[in-house]
Amino acid sequence: MGTLLVVLVLALFLAAILTGGYNKDFLERVRHSKVWDWLTTVDHKKIGIMYFMSGFFFLLIGGLEAVFMRLQLIVPNNDLFTGDTFNKLLTMHGTTMIFLAAMPMIFGIINVVMPLQIGARDVAFPFLNSLGFWAFFFGGLLLNLSWIFGGAPNAGWTSYPSLALMGFNPGPGIDYYVLGLQISGIGSLMSGINFLATIINMRTPGMTFLRMPMFTWTSFVTSALLLFAMPPLTVGLLLLMFDRVFGSAFFDPALGGSPVIWQHLFWIFGHPEVYIVILPAFGIMSEVISTFSKKRLFGYTSMVFATVVIGFLGFMVWVHHMFTVGLGPMSNSIFAVATMAIGVPTGIKVFNWLFTMWGGELHFKTPMLWAVGFIPTFVMGGVTGVMLAVPPADFQYHDSYFVVAHFHYVLVGGTVFALFAGAYYWWPKMFGKLLDDRLGKWHFWLFFIGYHLTFFPQHFLGLFGMPRRVFTYQAGYGLESLNMLSSIGAVGMVLGTIIFTINVIKTARSKELAPADPWDGRTLEWSVPSPVPEYNFAQLPLVRGYDAFWIEKQAGNKGMAPAEPLGPIHMPSPSYIPVIMSLGLFIAGYGFVAHAIPVAVIGIAVVFISMFVRSFQQDFGYHIEPEEIVGSAKAKEVKA
Amino acid sequence: MSENTNQKTTNEMSHKPDGTAKHIFAFIVMIALTAAAFYLVATDVVPENMILPLILVFAVIQVFLQLFTFMHLNQKGSAFYTIFMIAGIVIAVVSALGILLM
Repeated sequence: MGTLLVVLVLALFLAAILTGGYNKDFLERVRHSKVWDWLTTVDHKKIGIMYFMSGFFFLLIGGLEAVFMRLQLIVPNNDLFTGDTFNKLLTMHGTTMIFLAAMPMIFGIINVVMPLQIGARDVAFPFLNSLGFWAFFFGGLLLNLSWIFGGAPNAGWTSYPSLALMGFNPGPGIDYYVLGLQISGIGSLMSGINFLATIINMRTPGMTFLRMPMFTWTSFVTSALLLFAMPPLTVGLLLLMFDRVFGSAFFDPALGGSPVIWQHLFWIFGHPEVYIVILPAFGIMSEVISTFSKKRLFGYTSMVFATVVIGFLGFMVWVHHMFTVGLGPMSNSIFAVATMAIGVPTGIKVFNWLFTMWGGELHFKTPMLWAVGFIPTFVMGGVTGVMLAVPPADFQYHDSYFVVAHFHYVLVGGTVFALFAGAYYWWPKMFGKLLDDRLGKWHFWLFFIGYHLTFFPQHFLGLFGMPRRVFTYQAGYGLESLNMLSSIGAVGMVLGTIIFTINVIKTARSKELAPADPWDGRTLEWSVPSPVPEYNFAQLPLVRGYDAFWIEKQAGNKGMAPAEPLGPIHMPSPSYIPVIMSLGLFIAGYGFVAHAIPVAVIGIAVVFISMFVRSFQQDFGYHIEPEEIVGSAKAKEVKA
Repeated sequence: MSENTNQKTTNEMSHKPDGTAKHIFAFIVMIALTAAAFYLVATDVVPENMILPLILVFAVIQVFLQLFTFMHLNQKGSAFYTIFMIAGIVIAVVSALGILLM
């Protein structure tokens, strides 16, 4: 902690010296700097970009961990990363990918796109939005600092007691896991509530619920899932923290506790969690497929219905992760049937996508490639999912590589493909520039082939008896060649990701600006300029039906009809409090990890003081005058 | 947007006069119920097997006070809150029953 402080102070000094010495206008310079602007922003687009970019950063870290694991497993009896190191890698890979990569990147896209799709100027609570992001960021930072300070968690991303209890795991690793996830979980819950309030209250005139784009609908259901799924995780983590830090015995069977309670709490959260990350992916794919097929989404109402049903059933199936715990044939059967039932609405979705493409005018741009690659891949993951839902069969598959293959088929083949599709599709709205299509296609093919080469053999590894989460295997059991193939496949995914990174850097450097509507889009976000001005819509648009922008284009109108006269636009003012408050949470978290209660108290004090300051702050925001809006629009036209 | 905020403030203003007393009353009742719950656990006023049911009754009363005074569930336009609360209660009941019965 001391070292950290010294480094921080030194960094501040250096910043001051390098930017022209520490003097009176240093603070003034800070206030006008780009860094300060991003730290204090409450603009949903900027927060979305920060969410997406930090999610991508954590994706790279998690990917590196995966590569290390594939390197270890490339030949039998390898000794590159053995025992505890391998356990740390697999734990951090899972935790990072789910909580710090998939969720934040999804939140990033929701943040940028959803308010634009419903014709809103911002999310309902801009301050809360910023707070949610910074809480996630500091939580993720805390979790990843474990590599440097004291050792990473090593009990798997599910962190089951008794393994995760103090008696078996005395290092600080699990404490990092508990506190890091707790802090980033606070952020996720806040974002979920924020999205719900936004979609319910901020829709533009005419945007009824059944005219909302599919991506907005899936964001809505995902947010509802967040609202109901995060609390069980919070409770579970809190109980585990009490067991570890304060010596209680909720999960310690020796003292009358029950480790199964943790499993229930974790999976009551954990199963909705996989729908939290897959539903927005469905939404992205629906938008992409509809746009690049030049057709209205087939069976829109049934898609909405299927989304809601999946969201609801998602809470009724958690025990299928616990079939082998021994809860008895009755509960296993009930939950098996419920699990198989989810296949029905998911099937509705798949057929709707196929029928949307059927007879459409298909354009195979990069986003569409990802979408088309997604459908068969996800169906394969779904089929193995139904196989796993049969309890007697699950006793065979459980904790084998078959499970690993299954969830990578749905999570990578579903969520990650969708995130890449969404990135290529909405990049112009986020950054005002188009990603390179040729590099994008290279990215897709390398990643797609590498991905299937990595995970398809893992089904058979599992069936041949290779257990998951074990750092090596012996020669002569028929596991060598498939493991070798799997590791070679990882190279393709790495190359694909490198090409994506190059594409991002190349696009950031290029000066070519994207048009407002590069894909001939159908929804409201394509009716505003790229990059989007900070007030989004100079005049809120009037929506006349589903695919609002497409209707206007078909009617020969230049843009959306305004729903209000041009007037001053009220904007929320930027605030530095979210960063400070999250920093307080971070310090408190670090205090609990180090079992240094005074430090934790200081951190919590920082949080409460910032809450107090915020509560008594007189902040009315500011207005953007109509002259300014018209002026900037004219300047844009002159440039074009 | 600015008009919206204005409307809200005038709405709240018109509710205030009778609202304040109600809020303070509910607040005091809730604190009293919490204190009573602690008191029941700490002392032997009632038989041990009655403590849990009594605390649960207190909790339910508090929930209703919360919902109707502080979360304005008795006002118009609360359909969404109701939908979400019912959904939440259904999920919570299913989860709790699931754990208890297994």
